[in-house]
Formats: sequence, C-alpha cells, structure tokens
Amino acid sequence: MSRPITLALVATLTPALVALFLAATPFIRRRGAPAAALTVLGSVVSFGAAVMLLLSRLGQTGTELFTVPWIRSSARVIAEAGVHVDGVSASMLAVVCFVALCVQVFSLGYMHDEPPADFGRYFTYHALFLFSMNVLVIAPNLLQLFVGWELVGVTSYLLIGFYYKKPSAAHAAVKAFWVTKFADMGILFALLSLFVATGTFAWNVKLEPAVATAVTMLLFLGVVGKSAQFPLHVWLPDAMEGPTPVSALLHAATMVAAGVFLVVRADPLFVQSPTTRTVMLVLGAVTALFAALLALVQTDIKKVLAYSTCSQLGYMVAALGAGSVLAGFFHLTTHAFFKALLFLAAGSAIHAVHSNEIGKMGGLFKKMPLTGAAFAIGALALAGVPGLSGFFSKDLVLEGVEHKLHHVPYVILLATAFLTAFYMGKVVFVAFFGPPSSEQAKHAHEPGWSMKLPLVALAVLAVVAGYFAAPFARLYGEPYHFHFGVGAAVAAALGLGGIALAWTMFGGGKRENPQVMVTVERIAQSRAVNRLYEFGYRRVTLAMADAFAWFDRYVIDGMINWLGYFTIDAGRRARPMQTGFAPDYVLAVVVGAVSLAAWAVLR
Amino acid sequence: MTASVGFGFMAACTLVSAIFVVRSKNLIRAALWLGATLLLTAALYAMLDASFLAGVQVLLYVGGISTLLIFGVMMTRKHEGLVVEAETVNVPRGVFAAGALFGGVAAAIKMTPELDSGVRPPVVTANDLGRGLLIDHVLAFEVVSLLLLVAIIGAVVIARKRDPGAEVPGFVRRPLAAKASSAKPVANEVSP
Amino acid sequence: MTLSHCLLLASALFAVGVYGILTRRQIVAVLLSIELMANAANLVFVSFSRFRPSMSGSGAQGQIFALFSLALTVAEVAVGLAIVILVYRAHGDTRIDLASEMKS
Repeated sequence: MSRPITLALVATLTPALVALFLAATPFIRRRGAPAAALTVLGSVVSFGAAVMLLLSRLGQTGTELFTVPWIRSSARVIAEAGVHVDGVSASMLAVVCFVALCVQVFSLGYMHDEPPADFGRYFTYHALFLFSMNVLVIAPNLLQLFVGWELVGVTSYLLIGFYYKKPSAAHAAVKAFWVTKFADMGILFALLSLFVATGTFAWNVKLEPAVATAVTMLLFLGVVGKSAQFPLHVWLPDAMEGPTPVSALLHAATMVAAGVFLVVRADPLFVQSPTTRTVMLVLGAVTALFAALLALVQTDIKKVLAYSTCSQLGYMVAALGAGSVLAGFFHLTTHAFFKALLFLAAGSAIHAVHSNEIGKMGGLFKKMPLTGAAFAIGALALAGVPGLSGFFSKDLVLEGVEHKLHHVPYVILLATAFLTAFYMGKVVFVAFFGPPSSEQAKHAHEPGWSMKLPLVALAVLAVVAGYFAAPFARLYGEPYHFHFGVGAAVAAALGLGGIALAWTMFGGGKRENPQVMVTVERIAQSRAVNRLYEFGYRRVTLAMADAFAWFDRYVIDGMINWLGYFTIDAGRRARPMQTGFAPDYVLAVVVGAVSLAAWAVLR
Repeated sequence: MTASVGFGFMAACTLVSAIFVVRSKNLIRAALWLGATLLLTAALYAMLDASFLAGVQVLLYVGGISTLLIFGVMMTRKHEGLVVEAETVNVPRGVFAAGALFGGVAAAIKMTPELDSGVRPPVVTANDLGRGLLIDHVLAFEVVSLLLLVAIIGAVVIARKRDPGAEVPGFVRRPLAAKASSAKPVANEVSP
Repeated sequence: MTLSHCLLLASALFAVGVYGILTRRQIVAVLLSIELMANAANLVFVSFSRFRPSMSGSGAQGQIFALFSLALTVAEVAVGLAIVILVYRAHGDTRIDLASEMKS
C-alpha cells in the first residue's frame, strides 16, 4: 500500500477504533473525560494524516486506488471496499477532519456541564461520525459511499436525539431519519439500476441516456433529502434540537454536504444527463430563495443558521446543476468553514445567555468581543463581502449559473444573496449590538479557551480560504482564474447593500419588521410542507399499514385459525361415530368385509 | 342321493336352530337352542367323516360351553324367576348387514366353480389326527395348552370375589340399580 | 352334498351369528351369537378337510385347525363370562350398552 492510501486509512480507521473501544468499555466511557480525550486524540491523528495526505497530493494528478473484494456472488466479485485517493477526496478529507477537530475541541467546553456518562456517549458518537464521514469520502465506488451515507445518517439520528429524554429532540431525530431514509430509497434504486445496467457500482461508466437520467435523478433524490433541499428540507430546522456543536459539524459543514459531495464524485454520471442537471439547477435556486425567506423570520439563532445552511446548499446544488462542479465544491469548502464558525460562535452566545433567542441577546459584542468578532466574520463571509472566502466561492457559483436558463436562476440567486446579507445583518445587529435585551445578556462573558480556540481557527480559515482557490482548483483538476467582473461587483454590492439595509432597520436597538417579513411569517406559520408530510404519513402510510395489518390478522391469520377451528369442529362432529357400543363396531367390520368381498367379486 | 337329502335336512334343521338362538326372547331358551345347534353341527361333522371331531364337539361345545353359558345366564339375572328377558333392537340394520354378508360370500362361492371339482381325498382317521397334533404341529399343540391354562387362571382372577373396598378393575363406579337380587355388590361405597 | 353346499350352510350360519350380535342387547346373548359364528367357521374347516387334499403329510389339517379353534373358543367363552360377571357386579345388569366407556 502506498503512503497516500495508508494516510487515508489512518484518518478513517483511527476514529473507528476509538468508537469501537469506547462502545466496548462502558466503564471507561461513562467516566466522561477519558472518552473525550480519546476521541479528540483520535481526531488529531486523523487530521494530521489528512493534512499530510493533502500536502502529498499538491503536485499530483491521477488517482490512487486500493480495494479488497467485499461482496462475492458465485466466484465473481460484485463490489469492493477500499480507498480512492484523488484531489477531491484529499481536500474533502482535510476539511472534514479539520472541522470535526474544531467542533470536538469546542465541545470539551460547551458540553462540560453534562453528566459524565452523557459526556462519554457524546464523544463516542463523534468518533463514530468521523469514521462514517471518512468512509464516505474515501469510497472507491458508490456502494461504499452509500454505506458511509447511511452511517452518517445513523450518527445524525443519535446526535440529534442526544437529549433523548426531551420529546421534541426524540421526534426531531426520528423525523430526520425518516425524511432522509425516504430520500435514500432513491440512492438505493439508483445503485440497483446502475448494477443492472453495468454490473458495477462505479461512477465512471457510460450509460444510455435514459438510464443515465434515471440513475442520476434517483441519486439526486438522495441528495435532496440529505442536503435538505425543497421539499425535503423539513428535517433540518428540527435537527437544531441537537447540541450546537453537532449542528455545526453535521448539519452545516459535513453531513449535509455529503449530498453535494456525492454529485461531485459521480460527476461522470451527471454529465450524461442534462435533464437531471436542469432539475438540479432549478431546484437549487428555488431552495436557496425559499430558505432565505424563511431565515428572515426566525427568532431562534440556530434556526436562522439552519435555514441559511439550507439556502447555501441550494447554491451548491444550483452550481452543480449548471455544470460548474468546481464552483459547487469550492462553495462547499468555504461554507463548511464559515458556517461552522457561525454555529460555534452562536453556541458561545447561547452558552452565555442560556437561550437560543436573539431577542434575549443584545449588545454581546461588548461583553464577548472574540465571539462577536468570530460571528461577524462568519456573517460577512456568508454575505459574500469581498475579501472573505465566501465572496470568492459565491462569485464562482454565480459565474457558473449566469448564462443558464435565460438568467432566471442567476437572478434568483442574486436576490437570495441580498436576502442572505440582510438576515445575517439583522442577526448580528440584534444579537451583538444595541442594548442587552435580558438579564443574562447583561452578564454575558467569554467562554474558556476550549471554546475560543476553535473559533479563532475557523475564523482564520473563513478569511483566507478564498485565496487558496487556485491550488484547490488544481487539486480538483480544473484551471481557475479570478476576475473582478460585473457579476462580482453586482454580488458584492448586493451583499453590502443587504447589510446596510439591515443596519437601518435593526441597528442600534431598532426593531422594524419589513412587510415582506410579515408576509413570510404568515406563510411560514402555515407549515404547509410539514402538514403535507404529516398527512401523507398519517392518512396514507399509516392507513395502508392498518389495512395490511387488518388483512394479515383477519384474512391470513384467519385462514390459519379457520383451519384450526375446522379441525376441531370436524373432530367434534366425527366423535359421535365412536359410540362405545360394541355391536356398532361389529357392524363396521361387517360393512368393511362386505365391501371387500364385493370389490373382489366385481373385479 | 339319500346322503344329499339327509344332509339337506340336517342343514335346514341346523339353520332353523341357529335362527331360534338369535330370535328367542328368553335367554335360557336361547342358550338351549345353541346347545341344539351345536349338537346338530356335531351330526354334520359325522356326516363329513370327521367322527372324532364330532365327539369332541359334543363334549366340549355342548357339554362345556353351553353349560358354562347357562351358568352365566343364571348368575347374572336381574330378578328371580326363570324368565330372562332378552330384547332385540335395530332389527332392520341387522338383517341388512347379515344379508349383505351372506350375499357377498355366497356370490363368491358361486363364482368359484372349481370348488366342486377335484378328487375326494382319503378319509381322515384318528391316527392321522394324532400324528398331525403330536408330530407335525406339536408346537401349536403345546402353545394351545398353555393358552388354556392362562385363560383359566385369567378368568378366575378377573371374576373372583373381592374384599369390600377393593377396586373393581377396569370399571368406573356407577350407582347400582335398586334390586332385590342376592348378587353381592362389590362394596357399599359412595359412587361418583 | 358338495363343498359349495357346505360352505353355503356355513356362511348362512355365520350370517345368523352376525345378525345376533347386531340385534341382541344382553351380553350373554351376544356371546351365544359369537359361538354360532365360531361354530360356522369350524364347519368350513371340516368341510375343506373332507373335500380337498391336505397340504402336509398327515392329511388332517382341516380338522386339526378346527380342533385348535375349538380350544380357543372355549378359552374365549371362559374369559368372556368372567367379564360378564364383572359387568353385572358393577351395574347390576348385563346390557351391552353399559360397557360403552369408549364413547367419545
């Protein structure tokens, strides 16, 4: 095995070993601190290996592959498991491990007040997650990718439902699992179709156009679920029930990005289906706008960020649909940094104020300058302010989308950029500036080093990641040049304009809600999409289940039971034949004898 | 010719006697008719050149079994008096079954013409019987004697008088019908 | 007389015995009918011994079998009457439907 392969395996298997060990040793896990130490240590090792891998790939092209046979069927190997190292997987691996490490270090402080047993459980799940995500990233074929996909889904369920004693958390976990499982059917059928068509699970195969469209559409269904696109976005806001670091890692930076990663990986397939790409473009743009509008009316800071994530994922999906895969992937990377930063900073604020509501915050910048600065940097990056990473990646996306479909998605995404800047500005001004709105806000203070360090690290990357676009593109395999053209200028203007508008409405303690917010609020309160799913679940699925249960109990079981009753009844009816009266038995013998004689005679 | 007429007459008598056995309302009379039937059968044996067997028939069947049966009747009467009631039930079904049986066998006999062909074998003498019993089939002979011993012992064991309170083997207790007979009940225990 | 005549007579006697078993209500009466049937069977053996050559050397197989059958019948009557006595002791009467414990 070559060095890159080894590094990739180390990065993946170290957290697996940690998770396995902690799962098998409750007496260590339940003490809390040892579990956390082990997990963080494992993540450091993973991150180190991932960085070394990335550096080793900087000058390279081509792919390193290492597989072992996994599924056999009558002497033929159907699927393999192993490692696939190229620029894409190396960079994604580094991003995932870095953000995971930051989040885990942050959790040391944030989750400190949890009982030791829960503390240990939390970190065990983190180790499991890192392993699962890495399995997905280094997968050499779509089947192993799907395995990682499902594993991160399980981990997400476990972590969203971490406070399982809280009913809303338990429901949110089930809802997330349910919605994504529905979407995963798409991937399953895509894999089956792919296998039937080509006999492999590889993504670099040539398919008939109709088959390619079918397979990619089904794969996209999985993406819609995992990356919370409309209409399967409903689980992401509810997923905020999980601890904030979990929201940062899974539901902003990495897991939800897995959908985008899938499309990047399976690009050779998606290239063969313009239809699917068009659908992706439209859906991505719609989702971006829709989610941004909803983010506008949220008062819970985590929900704002959740809808914002949804919206940015829409950007990525739209970019992929437009064929600018590099743009989508780049935005994924920068978004991972600044969104994780935003979540962790929000976590710090939440920790200080003991509430998620921005209405209970206010003036936090004075009390928590580091947190405030971190959040502000994240917000500026998200808004696409020139100079920060978000600007470069968003510009790349807009460039890619500009000339497609008569500029319609382009305009939508521009409008969304404006809204993004506006709602983020609103949050920044309401939560961090102006007068404190509650007692806790008055007494807020900075957290300890374990929570400050990751903020700094992520803030740095949120700023500088944009300048590494060229090497990043080289790793991907495409050229990159940046030019500050009209498009970039318009986007920058919209970003700054949004922030300015927010200042006029929400700066310095003002609270003016524009009409659009009121309208969106009313629409949001109707919970139309959620109610649709509830209807589908209760009236359709459960009703069908009841029908089948009735059929099973009364028809199928009924037949068997009838057989039993029939036997008993037949026995009861036949019993009077046994009279116990000897001459009756003699008669039977005589009848038998006569019958035999008759048969013998008449033959 | 005379042999045939004689045989036919004897056959008819035997049959009539048998019918009386099963149709007689009086049990004692039925037992006596049985004795008559067995006697007539002995005569038939004699006609069939089986004189030894005829003698044995008279001794055992008529002298032994018939007597035994009459004893049995006497010992199990419901009330005093010579008349022992013996009703008949289900006559049509009995006639039908018996008739079908006879019909079947008769048809089989009729359909086998070779029954009546063939040479007449030599007459069986007592010598032949002795040789057959004690030389050719001696094992069966000994086993039958053992069987008779077992049957005697068994009958005695089954029917012997029991101490009051002992269980009657094989029977569930039933309330005894009121009777003036001197037959002893097993025990005056409470019936289930 | 021929073999068929004898056999016909025997079957008639047998049928009468069957009739007796099916119609009589007293156990002793049934025993009488059983005797009739056994007697008819013996008649068959003797008839065959008279009209057919014997298989073994001594030539008396039919009669020997009839002899054994007779002995068996004697044993059977003895035991049967013992049972009748038991039934009488248990129920005070000897009707055959009193012995229907095997009823379902």
